[in-house]
Amino acid sequence: MSEARPKLLVMGKLFARSSGVNQALVAAAEEAPAAAELAFEALYRSSRDDVYAYVASLLRDRVAAEEVTATAFERAYRKRSRFDRERGEPRAWLFGIARNAALDELRRRGRHSELAADPEDLAAATVEESAVASERRLAVTAALARLEPRERDLIALKFFAGLSNAEIATVVGVSESNAGTKLHRAVTKLREACDGAI
Amino acid sequence: MEPSRDEILFATLESLRPAPSPAFAAELDARVATGFPRESAPAASGASRLAAWARGLRPRRIVLAGGATALAAIGVAAVLVASPSTRVNIDTSGGGNIEAGPVVSGSESSAGAPRHLDRTPKQIEEAFGAAGSGKPTADSDSSSSNGAGVEYEASAPTAASAGAAAGTAEMGSAEAGINDQYAPSSGPYASQAHHRDVEYAAEMVLGTEPEEVGDAAGKVFDAVHRYGGIVLDSSVSGGSASDAGAEFELLIPSAKLGDALAAFSRIADVRSRHETSNDITAPTVTTAELLQDSHARIESLLNELAETETEAEREAVEAKLRSERRHAAVLKSSLTNLQRRANFSHVSLRIESGAADSSSGAGGWDVGDAFHDAGQILAAAAGVAIVGLAILGPIALIALLVWLGNRAWLRQRRERALG
Repeated sequence: MSEARPKLLVMGKLFARSSGVNQALVAAAEEAPAAAELAFEALYRSSRDDVYAYVASLLRDRVAAEEVTATAFERAYRKRSRFDRERGEPRAWLFGIARNAALDELRRRGRHSELAADPEDLAAATVEESAVASERRLAVTAALARLEPRERDLIALKFFAGLSNAEIATVVGVSESNAGTKLHRAVTKLREACDGAI
Repeated sequence: MEPSRDEILFATLESLRPAPSPAFAAELDARVATGFPRESAPAASGASRLAAWARGLRPRRIVLAGGATALAAIGVAAVLVASPSTRVNIDTSGGGNIEAGPVVSGSESSAGAPRHLDRTPKQIEEAFGAAGSGKPTADSDSSSSNGAGVEYEASAPTAASAGAAAGTAEMGSAEAGINDQYAPSSGPYASQAHHRDVEYAAEMVLGTEPEEVGDAAGKVFDAVHRYGGIVLDSSVSGGSASDAGAEFELLIPSAKLGDALAAFSRIADVRSRHETSNDITAPTVTTAELLQDSHARIESLLNELAETETEAEREAVEAKLRSERRHAAVLKSSLTNLQRRANFSHVSLRIESGAADSSSGAGGWDVGDAFHDAGQILAAAAGVAIVGLAILGPIALIALLVWLGNRAWLRQRRERALG
C-alpha cells in the first residue's frame, strides 16, 4: 500500500498535490458508505508518510511517532462519518487530528520536543551524500532549532506534511492570510538563520 | 543554471523529512485494511457507549432531532389542550360561584346543559335541604355545591341587616302562625328549621334577530303575566343589529321560577343563563323570634297598663308600649321583606340582537369559533414551548458554555505543550 512520495521542491507543487487529493476524497465521501471507505483509504495512502513525518518532527521519537501516527489514523477512521467538508478539507481534518494527538503526547510526557531531524536519519544519509549537502543539513537543522516552537510547527506542516496555506490555517486555527504571513516570517527567519551555509 | 537559495533550502528540508520504517508502514497498512479492529479493547460499558454515541452526533443531526422533539412536544400539548376531557370551566369571580357551561339554544334538557336548569325552586330547595352539613353559613364567603349540582350563594344576610329595614305596620293575626312556623329553630344558622326560606335570582340573555325583538318582548310580557310575575322595569328598543334589544327586571313567584325560565328560553336562543340561590332562613327565623318576643313584651305591657293606679305610671307604661310597638313594626316589616324575597325571585332578562358574544358560548360552532379555538390551541402550545425553552434553554446554554470552555481549555493546554 506504500506509495512513492513525489519530490517537492517548491510550494506551488505542494498546493497542487493537496488540492487534487481533496477533491477526489470529498466527491467519494458524499456517496455510499462503501465509497466513504474507499475515500478514507485514499486519504490514508496519500497522507500516511506525511502524517508520520509531521508527527515525528514534533515528537522527535520514532517509537512515539509511530504510536501517535497509528492513533491519529484510527481516530480519523472512527470519526470519518463526522467529517464535514464545510469545515475544511480532508487532509486538514486529518492533520488536525494528528496534531492534537501529538500535542496530547507531548503534554502527557511533560516535555517539549525539538523540531529537528532524527539523528538516525542523519547518520544514514551521510554515506553517499557530499560534504556540502551534509553541511547544509546540519545548518538547517541548527536553524530549525533556533526557531520558535510554533514557527517550527508551521515549517513542519508546510514542508514535511505538504499542506497548503489554507489547510495549515484550518489545522492551526487561524485565517488563511494569517497562516501565510506567519509561514512567510518563519521561512524568512529560517533562511536568515541558515545564512552562509546555503 | 544554479538553483536559487530557496530551492536549496526547500530541498534540504525535504531531505530532513522523517520517513516511516517499512515494518511500521506494513503494520499500519494491515490495520487500515482490517478497519482498525478493537483487539485488546475491553467491553465498553453502557455509559461509555452512550458517551461515544453522543460524541458521534453531528450538530446538524442534533438540531434536527431537537426540532423534531420540540414539534412532537407542541403536538402533544395541542392535543391535550384540544381534548374535551381536559376542559375546565370555572368562573372564579363573583364570590366563588361555580358557573354552568354554555347553554344550548332551545334545549332545556340537553346533555350539555347544567342539571340545575331543569329544576324548580322547590326541587332546588329540597335538594338543598338534603345536603345536611353542606349548607351554607351566614358568615362564610365561600360557596359549595351539593350532590345534586345546585348552585347557591353562601353570603346570606345576617339578622342585623334584617333589622335595618324601616317601616311601620300593625301586627296581624297571621303573625302567630308565622312565629309557629319558625318556632322550633334556634341558633344563627337555623339548622333545625322545618321550613327553609331560599331567595332565588336569575340572569338570562336571549338572542334573536333585530326585527324579532319586539315580538320577543311581547312574549316576555305574556309569560310574566301567565306565571303571576311582576315587571319592575322594562326597556325595548328597535333599530339595527347593534341597537335593537330589550331589558327586563322581573319578579317571578319562586314556586314558578323554573317554569317561567323555561318559557323565556322558548322565546329565543338562550345565550347565557345563570341562577343563584341564597338561603335566608337564618335571618327570617331570627326576625320571627324577635317579633315573637316583642309581642310578648307588648302583652306584658298591656297587662301592666291595666294595673296602673297613677297617671304617672300609666304614662310611663304607655311610652314603653309605644316604643315596643314601633320595634315590633320594624321587625314585622323586615320579616315581610324577607318573606317577599323568598316568595319572589328577581330575574334580569336581556334580549340581544346581532352576533353573540363569544364568551356566551351559545350558537353553533362556526369558522370564527374554529379560528378562536385554533388561536387558543396555538397560544397554549406556544406557552408549553416557552416553558420548555425556559427549562431547557438555560441547561443547553450551560452545557454549551461548559463544552466551549473545555474545548478552549484543552486547546490552550495543547498549544502550551507546543510552545
